[in-house]
Parts: sequence; C-alpha cells; structure tokens
Amino acid sequence: MKILVGIDVQPIDEVEASIREFGARYSRRLFTIHELESCGENPLTMARGLAARFAAKEAVLKILDTRGTVPSWKAIEVRRTEGGQPEIVLSGEAAELARRQGVGPMALSLSHGGAIATAVVVAQLKKRQFGTSR
Amino acid sequence: MSNVDATIREVLDTHGRLPMVASSLSDDDDLFENGLTSHASVNVMLALEDAFDIEFPDELLRKSTFESVGAIRSALESLGVVVTPG
Repeated sequence: MKILVGIDVQPIDEVEASIREFGARYSRRLFTIHELESCGENPLTMARGLAARFAAKEAVLKILDTRGTVPSWKAIEVRRTEGGQPEIVLSGEAAELARRQGVGPMALSLSHGGAIATAVVVAQLKKRQFGTSR
Repeated sequence: MSNVDATIREVLDTHGRLPMVASSLSDDDDLFENGLTSHASVNVMLALEDAFDIEFPDELLRKSTFESVGAIRSALESLGVVVTPG
C-alpha cells in the first residue's frame, strides 16, 4: 500500500488583495457556492478560509498526476461534513483522474496562523484501474 | 512583438509577481517554473479579462492555460482576440 501526501501554503494577504481588486469575479471563478458559504461574509474570516481552500485545491493537484490533464479549480471542492470536518469532494476531470490513477478517498486538514493558510491532503493509492504512469 | 504579446507581458509584470521582467521570457518558457504561483495566475487571468474585455470560460480556468506566454496567447485567440504585429 502506498500513501500519497500533498501539502500547500497560501499567503492570506494575497487572497485579500485579489478580493479587493477583483471582488466577486475572483471568488466565483475559483470557489464553489458551498465553499463561499462556508467562509461567511466577514472579510477577515472569509479571506483566510478561502486561502485555506485554495491551498487544499493545490495540495490535491500535487497528489494527482496532472500531466496531460489539469483539472479546473472548482472540480476540487472543500466541503464541510455535518460534524464540521473538512473533506475533499472531486468532480469532473478531477474525479476521473483520481479514478484512473487509483487514488482513494482523501483526508484533509486545514489550518491558518498569522499570514499563512495551509492544507494537507492524504490519500491511499489503491490498485491502478488502468493506464497510468504512476 | 504583437499587440497581444505586449499586453500579456504587461499583465504578467503587474499581476504575476514574477522575479524577472516578462519581456525576458520566451513564448515557450514555463511561467510556473519561472516563479508564477497558481494564485498569481488567477490574478493574471482576471487582469487579462479586463485588458481584452473577454471572459475565460470554465474549461479554460485551469493552470495549464497560463503555463506560458504562448499558451495564454493561444487561449486568447480561441476567445476571438485578434493578434496584430507590433
């Protein structure tokens, strides 16, 4: 059994700056409605929440073999379970890549401190389905 | 350099947070290997939309669209932006 780990960090001030400059155009292009609702409307908590979610999307991209196909950002979604835990939900090309590469369900941890948000994703590499170079 | 290439490089200089000026990069140089972060590529995308009065469709909202000046130019041309020699 092989374990895959992806990690990424995202400066929160970069997200704040993008929201200031581009507003809703920025947030709606990168994040799903669920992700936006999860982060609320308070500018401070929204920016750090979105920064952590962007880091999670990037962490997932580090787990998947994206040579040839790079999923869109919204195909990798951070959802909150009923218990409040964050989880990764893949759709479209991201889900197809994971299936083809035998990447199992992903565990996610988000954090932020000071100016940085970070995400760690862990997944199990299952038996390959077909045709992957991993 | 075409009008489009000049604008792409101008946007990269103002929004790409690159450690070098974009005019020093060739059309095929990998922007991510040269310091463009994924998050900065989003700002580049939005600034390109403003510069060319276009909107990138969902299928182009991915890192690979912004991996080089040439890739960006191809995406813009697919959206109807006309490239004219400078």
